[in-house]
Amino acid sequence: MNNLIRISVITIKDQMRQKSFYLLLAIAVVFILLIRGCYQGNYSVNGRQIESVSVAWHVSLLVFHFIAAGMFLMTSMLSMGIFSRDRDDGAMVMFLSRSVDRWQYVLGRIAGIWILSTAFMFILHLTIFLIVLTNTGGMITGYLTASLLCSVNLLFAIVLTCFLSLFLPNFMAAIFTLGIIGISFLSDGAYQAMQSELIRQIISSENHAALWRILFPKVYMLQHYASTLITNNGFDGMSPTYALVNIVLYIGAFAAAVLWRFYRSEI
Amino acid sequence: MISFENVTKKYGNRVAVDGVSYTVDKGEFFGLLGPNGAGKTTLVRMLLGFSRCTAGNIAIDGLPAGRSESRKKVGYLAELHRIPPYLSGVEYLMRHAAFCGLSGSRAKRAVGEILERVGMNGSEKKKAFQYSKGMTQRMGLGAALLGNPELLVLDEPVSGLDPLGMRDVRVILEEFKNRGRTIILNSHLLSEVERLCDTVAIMNKGRFVVKDALSRIVHAHETLEDVFIRHLEVENP
Repeated sequence: MNNLIRISVITIKDQMRQKSFYLLLAIAVVFILLIRGCYQGNYSVNGRQIESVSVAWHVSLLVFHFIAAGMFLMTSMLSMGIFSRDRDDGAMVMFLSRSVDRWQYVLGRIAGIWILSTAFMFILHLTIFLIVLTNTGGMITGYLTASLLCSVNLLFAIVLTCFLSLFLPNFMAAIFTLGIIGISFLSDGAYQAMQSELIRQIISSENHAALWRILFPKVYMLQHYASTLITNNGFDGMSPTYALVNIVLYIGAFAAAVLWRFYRSEI
Repeated sequence: MISFENVTKKYGNRVAVDGVSYTVDKGEFFGLLGPNGAGKTTLVRMLLGFSRCTAGNIAIDGLPAGRSESRKKVGYLAELHRIPPYLSGVEYLMRHAAFCGLSGSRAKRAVGEILERVGMNGSEKKKAFQYSKGMTQRMGLGAALLGNPELLVLDEPVSGLDPLGMRDVRVILEEFKNRGRTIILNSHLLSEVERLCDTVAIMNKGRFVVKDALSRIVHAHETLEDVFIRHLEVENP
């Protein structure tokens, strides 16, 4: 087996060895099961009965975003100390004293956390998908595809945290990553809102996107695009290809920077 | 087998290794001696590729040290050897076995033999955090021996071991040497080096002050300790 795959598998096993991983997964699943009640009640707005399928659909969309946002926190926590922990407990020497290249070690660790985080998020989204299916009989098409698309954002969070953790204390690296993701949500979210018909009617002035906003990591836009796979609404923010290419380029750049920094460091 | 060519390592203005040149032949048991801070561990770390040479080259069988291919031939025991605390001894060895290209029953058999050889049978299922320093050291030596390497690089291998443990390590190393394998031993224990090594280099302030066959360095009615002290007194009057 290739060393990269071997290290990814070892990373997944090591993370799943921790009881806190199962505790977190159990809490998340229980939380999702608790909102099951939302799918069963009768809702009326202004005296008009709302279809349960419609309610289920809206709740599922909300929970989709909630899970995706929560996963940013989890992936940052998982990836913030991976190199420093390995350095302290001897795992780094264990790998690199064998015929393992440094790039295989770094990318193997990153890939392991990414696969695990994606699986974690997918399980939570799948739970919602199945709850809707069993309670309403309706299938939310695109829900699971959207989940997989959001995993690209998770990879961005992991690579960015790993990169920052080579310069900053672990906790600060996680906070900075969450900060950058937060800025992406605020700036692109606000821009997206400004494009709505309602706001445009209120604010008549031309609203051009600043260059920094165009170049800033498009975490929000990618997640928003993923949600349009569920809603089947058009994605009017910008080209979805640009959002994806933007994030992939950032992932590539930060991964290259992690490798460059790691190759120059002493073990 | 191993060639050091004008190897230099600087940390800022401080020179840790200063133009070391030497060749360790295949089957040689080479002892690296020196006071604390002489540059021995830095030299070993450069051999493994953990640290880069500021100048010069190190090659293992013609391959640049630090390349993963060159490490295929090497078993390494670090000075302050650590095992990830969440792993049991057998899991730790199985991971090393996997990176040596062993899997399934071959890996299990190799790990079983190594556990027997380093005297860790019966303790292999304990987690690493439950190990004493001596047990950790034995496991580390076991990991270094896995895959039957051509070259064994040992940085203070008997540190933390009791006299019985030291004797066991000595027997293992003698066996290893008798199979024609090469060993680099970095140690403060001069008596061990004197018993085991064919050639010795004494390092001080990053340079080799003496490098030769043990029989040519240590004269009659002298011990290696006498030679060591004599050379360092000349260097540090």
